[in-house]
Amino acid sequence: MNLTLKIWRQENARAKGRFETYKVENISPDCSFLEMLDILNEQLVDKLSHPVCFDNDCREGICGMCGLYINGRPHGPDDGVTTCQLHMRRFKDGDTIVIEPWRARPFPIIRDLVVDRTAFDKIIQEGGYVSVTTGGVPDGNAIPIPKKNADEAMDAAACIGCGACVAACKNASAMLFVSAKVSQLALLPQGKPEAARRVQAMVAKMDELGFGNCTNTYACEAECPKQIKRSNIARMNREFMCAKVCSEE
Amino acid sequence: MSLVKLASITKKITIAAVGAFLLLFLPMHMGLNLCILREDGGEWYRNVCHFMGTNWIVKIFEVILILSVLVHVVVAILLTIENRKARPVRYAVPSKTKTHAGSKFMIYTGGVVFAFLIIHFINFYFVKFGIVVEDDSDTYTVEVEDLQMHLNEKVALIQEEMMSGKISQEAAQEQMMALQLEYMPFLQVLQTGQPSEKISKDGEELINLTKEELVQFAGEDFKEYEPDFYTMCNKLFAQPMYSIIYLLALVILGIHLFHAINSIFQTFGLNHKKYNKAIEYLAGAYAVIVPLGFAIVPLFVMFCK
Ligand code: HEM
Ligand code: SF4
Ligand code: FES
Repeated sequence: MNLTLKIWRQENARAKGRFETYKVENISPDCSFLEMLDILNEQLVDKLSHPVCFDNDCREGICGMCGLYINGRPHGPDDGVTTCQLHMRRFKDGDTIVIEPWRARPFPIIRDLVVDRTAFDKIIQEGGYVSVTTGGVPDGNAIPIPKKNADEAMDAAACIGCGACVAACKNASAMLFVSAKVSQLALLPQGKPEAARRVQAMVAKMDELGFGNCTNTYACEAECPKQIKRSNIARMNREFMCAKVCSEE
Repeated sequence: MSLVKLASITKKITIAAVGAFLLLFLPMHMGLNLCILREDGGEWYRNVCHFMGTNWIVKIFEVILILSVLVHVVVAILLTIENRKARPVRYAVPSKTKTHAGSKFMIYTGGVVFAFLIIHFINFYFVKFGIVVEDDSDTYTVEVEDLQMHLNEKVALIQEEMMSGKISQEAAQEQMMALQLEYMPFLQVLQTGQPSEKISKDGEELINLTKEELVQFAGEDFKEYEPDFYTMCNKLFAQPMYSIIYLLALVILGIHLFHAINSIFQTFGLNHKKYNKAIEYLAGAYAVIVPLGFAIVPLFVMFCK
């Protein structure tokens, strides 16, 4: 396949960025999207120019590092996959592909397509954990939890913190991410004692960092590679209201 | 605490709560409007308008309602500003992500609804009715020319009745005298320009009239004077442009409402696969039926009158 790539290049957070156009040739349809960028970067290095910076690590859809805004969609045209899991067979020979970094005030650009997602870590630090040491991993059946709750908590815990929800949302809202983290703990007995404090602290941090307000467009749910459901946001709203009304914290 | 500092979820719940209140109000308003369909020369409609314009419970609700709209709009604008700030650099390629119908345009559909509400309020609170204008401080203004015409019509009526022999010459003269007596204050004001605070500088209108003075100057006919909403409504909707704008505004309201109703449940944390489908249907039904109910009135005036 022969492709034209329009890629956002930016030296650092403060520099002015611009789109650069590149051509890549003879790309196999079996290539992954990131492998295609590797091929481009080899070409660039051969020509002694700077390679295009992009984040990635596991390349198997579990770490959440990769994340590119491809032709108007976070993680590209496939539903429920990360950028590293996207393959070139989803494109046609001769296509032009526009690649942009996540755009959100709390995610400043480090270089080119790499953004700083420390904001997510800061939200987790506000309460996305259980304070007491629980020892080693307990036996699977030792804690009596209904299967349904365990499944739902596990579904919420599938969030890999990639930030596609923020990137997709017209308001750059982090509600899907935060609600997944709130839900995975709210659904389990270990998370209950700190639930009221947790939800208020995490929401406060999310607001302080400058993420937008959710307006229920559900773009996050449509683009989440782990298909985290918007019902988690509803759960977080419930948890938040209950905390405000019932809790002393 | 400043509004800006409220938690994002608190702001959302605020806008949803006042939105819910507005949603309760709309079908009631629609019901009142539909009274105009009754072929009774506007009897029901005028009664309803009279009730809504004078009952004190309604007055209280009116204040709450206007405050609700203001809170809704202020929070909506605040949210929109914050949300724009959260993405200072926009994407070059417009988003291709599927979103809930109408959800991306809430501030625009809301803005249209707001502009519409303003026109609506202007019509109902400050409008000109025939020869009398009710201004906002509950006093009345009368065009001198209109009032003269009104008087001439009455004179012409008496003359006509006399000519056709319906009443005797004496009776006609008596009526003329009575008429002159009735309109004495008016004629005096015209001739002398006194009291000067009751007549405008150019002498073209009588101003600052209380209800009693209105009757005094404009005659007994205005004893029961009330703005005639029935006639006004028919006149406004008889203008095709006005009706078309009204209908377009309703379509846009429907789009706002469809997302709004779905959204309200999500905001209050009511999301469950057991009833999500039902919510979607409810929102669809409401967003079609209520604007349609409002739309019947201009359609009826345009095509059935
Ligand atoms: C009859 C009038 C109106 C009704 C019944 C109504 C109702 C609602 C409801 C129920 C919501 C959903 C709140 C939520 O859960 O998120 C909403 C959202 C919204 N409304 Fe209205 N609204 C009306 C007029 C307006 C006006 C005049 C504006 C003016 C700007 C406006 C702007 C918005 C915006 C921007 C949202 C989205 C907020 C969000 O989703 O967070 N609305 N409306
Ligand atoms: S909720 Fe989904 S899109 Fe958002 S950070 Fe988690 S995995 Fe990524
Ligand atoms: S590189 Fe780890 S999820 Fe894509």
